[in-house]
Amino acid sequence: MSVREMDIKADPSCTTNSLSNYLWSDPPDENKWADCVHCGMCLESCPTYEHTGQEQHSPRGRVHLIKSVAEGKLKVNEMFADPVFQCLDCRACTTACPADVDVGGLIEEARGQVRQAMPLTGWKGTVSKAILEGLFPHPNRLDSLGGLLKFYQKSGLQKAVRKTGLINIMPKHLVEMESIMPEIKESVRKKYKNENVIKAKGESKHEVSFLTGCVMDVMFGDINEATINVLTRNGNDVKIPKNQTCCGALHVHAGDRETGRKLAKQNIEAFQDSEKIIVNAAGCGCMLKEYPELFREEPEWHEKAEEFSKKVEDISKYLYDTGYEKPKAEINKRITYHDACHLAHGQGIRQEPRDLLLNIPGVEMVHMPNSDRCCGSAGVYNITNPEMAGAVLESKMENVPDDVEMISMGNPGCMLQMAIGVQKYGRNQQVVHTVQLLDWAYQKEDEGKEGK
Amino acid sequence: MAVKGLKTKDQHIINLANIVNSPRSILYQKEDLLAYDCDGFTIHKHLPRAVVFPKNTEEVARLVKYCHEHDLPFLARGAGTGLSGGAIPLNGEVIISLVRMKKLLSVDLENRRAVVEPGFVNLKLTNSISDKGYYYAPDPSSQYCCTIGGNVAENAGGAHCLKYGVTTNHILGLEVVMPNGEIIEIGANGIPDAPGYDLLGLLTGSEGTLGIVTKITVRILKNPEAKQTVLAYFDKVADGSQAVSDIISAGIVPAALEMMDKTAIEGVEAAAFPVGHPKDIEAVLLIEVDGISAGIDEQINEILDVCKKRNVREVKVAQDEAERGRWWANRKTGFGAMGAISPDYLVQDGVIPRSKLPIVLERINQISEEYGLRISNIFHAGDGNLHPLVLFDARIPGETEKALAAGSACLQVCADVGGTITGEHGVGIEKREEMRFVFKDEEIIAQTDIREVFNPKNLLNAGKLFPTPGRCVEIKKEMKAASTAAN
Ligand SMILES: Cc1cc2nc3c(=O)[nH]c(=O)nc-3n(C[C@H](O)[C@H](O)[C@H](O)COP(=O)(O)OP(=O)(O)OC[C@H]3O[C@@H](n4cnc5c(N)ncnc54)[C@H](O)[C@@H]3O)c2cc1C
Ligand code: SF4
Ligand code: SF4
Repeated sequence: MSVREMDIKADPSCTTNSLSNYLWSDPPDENKWADCVHCGMCLESCPTYEHTGQEQHSPRGRVHLIKSVAEGKLKVNEMFADPVFQCLDCRACTTACPADVDVGGLIEEARGQVRQAMPLTGWKGTVSKAILEGLFPHPNRLDSLGGLLKFYQKSGLQKAVRKTGLINIMPKHLVEMESIMPEIKESVRKKYKNENVIKAKGESKHEVSFLTGCVMDVMFGDINEATINVLTRNGNDVKIPKNQTCCGALHVHAGDRETGRKLAKQNIEAFQDSEKIIVNAAGCGCMLKEYPELFREEPEWHEKAEEFSKKVEDISKYLYDTGYEKPKAEINKRITYHDACHLAHGQGIRQEPRDLLLNIPGVEMVHMPNSDRCCGSAGVYNITNPEMAGAVLESKMENVPDDVEMISMGNPGCMLQMAIGVQKYGRNQQVVHTVQLLDWAYQKEDEGKEGK
Repeated sequence: MAVKGLKTKDQHIINLANIVNSPRSILYQKEDLLAYDCDGFTIHKHLPRAVVFPKNTEEVARLVKYCHEHDLPFLARGAGTGLSGGAIPLNGEVIISLVRMKKLLSVDLENRRAVVEPGFVNLKLTNSISDKGYYYAPDPSSQYCCTIGGNVAENAGGAHCLKYGVTTNHILGLEVVMPNGEIIEIGANGIPDAPGYDLLGLLTGSEGTLGIVTKITVRILKNPEAKQTVLAYFDKVADGSQAVSDIISAGIVPAALEMMDKTAIEGVEAAAFPVGHPKDIEAVLLIEVDGISAGIDEQINEILDVCKKRNVREVKVAQDEAERGRWWANRKTGFGAMGAISPDYLVQDGVIPRSKLPIVLERINQISEEYGLRISNIFHAGDGNLHPLVLFDARIPGETEKALAAGSACLQVCADVGGTITGEHGVGIEKREEMRFVFKDEEIIAQTDIREVFNPKNLLNAGKLFPTPGRCVEIKKEMKAASTAAN
């Protein structure tokens, strides 16, 4: 093998465009990698670097490779796709990077190029088509049990769910385990389909619109219900705009930016009249806030997306900022909190959800070391990269304190993954959404009053 | 056992893969290798022939032996945060990456020492023992990521080395794979100051040219009882640097005494960890004192007095650990933060007598104007270790060369005022030529002679640390000729 001199001095400067091997529109943004000074301060934050020790699976390496394609040193091929798609999109590197390099944005843009250069084939292609195009953009398909089953069968999740026994700790089971949990199995979109506004209990102080999320609403209808309860209890009129659709995060993560844009446009229009858009799934919230990224080449939509994204707020932050009634009933549980990547790294929300928990009487918070380390769920990553996802989950579970009863978090993807972790490693924690706990506390308080 | 699944016919790659015994422990395709074409110093780039990931000393030794026998150039790599290009495979080396050897092997609190593998990350050591009240003192700003093996190779320093000393003061023993594959142990029992030559001292800071470190016994320290941290803002650099000298002459030995200039402040405030430094000051000092609780307050008062005498605009003491943490994060991410105000930077690493700081900064200012490039200064002020960061944009034709020349000019200034060209980042590729600012040819040859004893074939990390041989070889020949003539 011959040795190649890669001295950058030999490169004609300022000719990156003509040398670039990115052949499609919407390529990785040069200004984003220009911020990277190759210092390596991001290395240890990256779960895939932790598990491989390999530079091309680190944020710095990924940025370097993405830049190398633009400089004509690399082609968009399988070898390039591997590091780009092994990324969990966990954004831990964004937090660690002193220069604020948007590694996540670069990776998503690179994925867009890869997918256009080499459309997926084989089982991965089928699965991804079935999930991303056939299911998520169609809430009514998701709604129907048939759609759910199809999703299960086609995605291979069914097998995973059966194997891990996850089915036993899905929300239904939680209902039986936990008497204070409300018994709701219906999606809120269905439940409130005839109601224009779900009125605040008591005086209305604000009006908010609620993004129900696609998976969230079907698999975790109870969490959505809890969110609505908590919002209305605190003086919010809640609207569920009819035309809303999947946020598109899974599509964008998979490199299908075109569908991502389509969904984004639909949501931007659906929420046109909303003042505040409340989200309870960190992954969706992060995506909505990043809609402008998708429209770098469409100025008109870019502006609309900017306006839209400013209105998006995570439920925990919204409650924290606008103030909420502190529950009076006690929930005597030892709880640890897992920082969902797209909440902590993606949106910088760390303290607010913890605050919600700490304000519930009786709750004892136990610190989870490395609480903002990815759990390996990362959208459909646990299906497409099972080995890495498994390794990342194992490290995560090692950090879950032994003696806690519940693990709380703010993202449905994480909840599924952590539930698998609990099952797989023979643990017995209950996996809950932060807002659910608050809702339970309120309900317990009300039951207490009624009991009097 | 032959490793399956390799996509190459290169017999050397196949043989190396067999030593590490897995297709996942070797990289040899261009796309993967490209990620290893440089380290934290990005001005030179070169592809390695392969990157191998040994799991243990045994594998390192076999890899080295193989390279030695087949005349393949090779080098060690830790996290690749080096700033002088020490881990860049200039000669298409086989890179032996030590990052998978990252275990903490043992902690012996009673004797205050710990044994780590070379890929163990610096900060993880402190994190693993802090609950027991101990820490590892050398704290390079890259400590979140850099490896202790890399620290040994570069004799890394850090903000707190003013009081506690640099890496070499904390190394008690090493296991080293010599360039021919032999495994040796130095200071195995962790007893400092063993009789005979100080091989530990020689190896520490040898920039990976004398052997590959595979196990390290380090000294650990008990956490200081108390700690106080101060921020002081100065309108004039001269006042700030005078305050530094005054603090030291007052007999206070701060644990850390750091300074940043105006451009550096602009960078850290634009980046990920801003703390709200005023934008219009010329210098900020970050001062920390630690030790037994008694006396700390007096020291702080004395420092505050000194600062006031030197016209400090504002001075404040950290109110809690969180605030202290924010101040340090702001300082420690200072280099990377330059990315927020410039596409590229070149960090220099001069050492100067403290008293010369105002004049040196003045001269650096002139260099900045002369070359039309901004230069920010981050300074371990207490021990005179100055980091001028030359800001440039590699995409603009000619700027890289200009930055290099400006950087070199800064080092010349440091050497001229009686200082030297590297405090902690090493010489690597970057400062090979500048070695001539501080050493005569004969002195350089004396040092390459030492290298020859350890690394006779010069396969291990060749082309680093010393100027390109050309002139030296000639002189060496002349010297030889002269000595034969004399006989
Ligand atoms: C943002 C930033 C801040 C920094 N701040 C500081 C600072 O404050 N103080 C400081 O001293 N340095 C600092 N550095 C420089 C750098 O982090 C140190 O030199 C560090 O010691 C390098 O460690 P590494 O694991 O990254 O080694 P690498 O960069 O991988 O290697 C450095 C050299 O050591 C050799 N080497 C690596 N491992 C071994 C081994 N096991 N055996 C033999 N040779 C080996 C390599 O061949 C190479 O020559 C900073 C760097 C950055 C990017
Ligand atoms: S992404 Fe940020 S932290 Fe990582 S190497 Fe680049 S500048 Fe440094
Ligand atoms: S997003 Fe996560 S997995 Fe991807 S490069 Fe950053 S830290 Fe690594």
